[in-house]
Amino acid sequence: MRTVRTSFALAIVFAAIGLSVKAHAVCDQSAASQADRDLWNTHGCWQDYFLWQYRAYDLRGGDWSGRGWNDACNVLLEYPKHWNGSFLLTYGLLDNNDQSFHGTADYRATAEAASSNFHESIHDSIGDGTALFGSYGGGAVTTYCPLYTSTWQNSNPASRGGDFQHEGWHAWLEKYNWNNGSAGGHRPGPTGACTVGGCDYFYFHGISKYLFGDMWQNDGTANRFHSPNQVQVEFLCDVADQSQSWVPSSVRTAAKTDADTRAAQRFINGPGYSCGSARPW
Amino acid sequence: MNATRLAVPSKCSTAALAFALLVGCSSQQARKAEGERPAAKEPSGSSPSQVLRGYKLHAPPPLSSAGDVPRFIDWAGASHRDEQEDGRKLLAAASANRAVAESFIKEIESSQRVDHSRALLVLALLGEMKSPVAEAYFREFAMRPLPERGTVIEGEIIEQTRQAELEGKAADGLAFLDTESSNRALMEIIARHPSKIVRAEAINAYLWNHGDGEEAKKALSRFVQKDDAILLDRVRRLTGETAETFNPKLDAFLRTHPEAVPPPPEKLPTARKPGERRPAYDAKPPAL
Repeated sequence: MRTVRTSFALAIVFAAIGLSVKAHAVCDQSAASQADRDLWNTHGCWQDYFLWQYRAYDLRGGDWSGRGWNDACNVLLEYPKHWNGSFLLTYGLLDNNDQSFHGTADYRATAEAASSNFHESIHDSIGDGTALFGSYGGGAVTTYCPLYTSTWQNSNPASRGGDFQHEGWHAWLEKYNWNNGSAGGHRPGPTGACTVGGCDYFYFHGISKYLFGDMWQNDGTANRFHSPNQVQVEFLCDVADQSQSWVPSSVRTAAKTDADTRAAQRFINGPGYSCGSARPW
Repeated sequence: MNATRLAVPSKCSTAALAFALLVGCSSQQARKAEGERPAAKEPSGSSPSQVLRGYKLHAPPPLSSAGDVPRFIDWAGASHRDEQEDGRKLLAAASANRAVAESFIKEIESSQRVDHSRALLVLALLGEMKSPVAEAYFREFAMRPLPERGTVIEGEIIEQTRQAELEGKAADGLAFLDTESSNRALMEIIARHPSKIVRAEAINAYLWNHGDGEEAKKALSRFVQKDDAILLDRVRRLTGETAETFNPKLDAFLRTHPEAVPPPPEKLPTARKPGERRPAYDAKPPAL
């Protein structure tokens, strides 16, 4: 009888565990991309950084439980991959005002939680599913499995940092009440030169046209303005071409490819800039 | 019977207790985790500045046999910008080494659906070799059919984009080879490839490998699709380029293509009211 009772109780417990696992489903946690691993090896899991980062991005443990919140040095998991991306964004750029599109001050203020000229306060969360790279709504930036599952092209620190820019820029649009379109904050597509379902305009600007820290500025015209995909392309180009010498080649290659792809397919008014040379390596 | 009757509530109490404990613990843990700081299972290691000081620059592994390839790829992926020439010299020296080229190809085939960043890197390394073996491979690879079904994000099948990015990298390799046959293959891609990502990269690579000159644009203009014509004038920011050269290129592009000038941005009719937000931490990150 005791055995029957115990088995019954255990069955309930396992069923409950199953429910619990289902409720906390996670992205593929079996691998990290080469770009993630190469960048990771430059810091070897720097704990001072992630203990700053979780506050700077206002990450909340409940959102990240089962995803490396308590195993923050395991690069296979989502939270370590998240902070690997923000590590690149925080330290990886050269910040040469004569050559870079924008500086670390701009990219950090866009991605981080604190309210500023760039947006009201935001916080970063994570969601399961593969129907989006990221989303923004009600002050929450949510990133999804295509940024964390290593088989996907955007599961690398540069593309993750690029997505922080993209979603952070939706918060900028919200702060200043800009209408960037009805398709999830983009223009419905395909339209013009844009081949996907959510399209932006590229508001071309030269180099040295924005002082570092001024990316949030606009003059109400197309001469001084940014769209989410544009900010993302400019960040990725700066990682590809204007990064610190120690930023690994695999990260720069992934950044360039993501930037060039995005620039070719997501803008209504023609291609955005292409980044760097076309030499293979 | 009695025992069974008695056992039922007993089972239920045990199960209920176990369930309550589990759910209770789980929600308690979640509450506890909320607001708590993350933790690592390992002790804190060195700072990145110490890690980087320990990195041995300009020490690539050899690349003379198929067996050297995996280690060389690992080195190349992690290599710093200042080491690019070290790697390029070794790749050029291995140009005629069939076994090395074939080993790179094997690695591309095995990594392309497992680790996109590695597949991209290895395609780049193979392209840098200028190997005759690579030419045949790139010609075939760049025209592989793209997946027609898969995961859709904003109307984009991301498996298709993944494959197109790799095929674009193969186009870079063809353009860098710059032989009669590789350029012919490139023109075929520019004229007929179904993906704009690949066509755009093929155009970009051909122009870059021919000094972005008017002659090169003229040569391509016979092949580019009508809607791709603007790609012949696409603005490229080269590594280290300053405003002095970049900005005039951009001005010229916008003069030639007034259709690329976007319309003015629009305001929403009514202001969105952001909800209650908690104040966020705003402190400097630790020094590298």
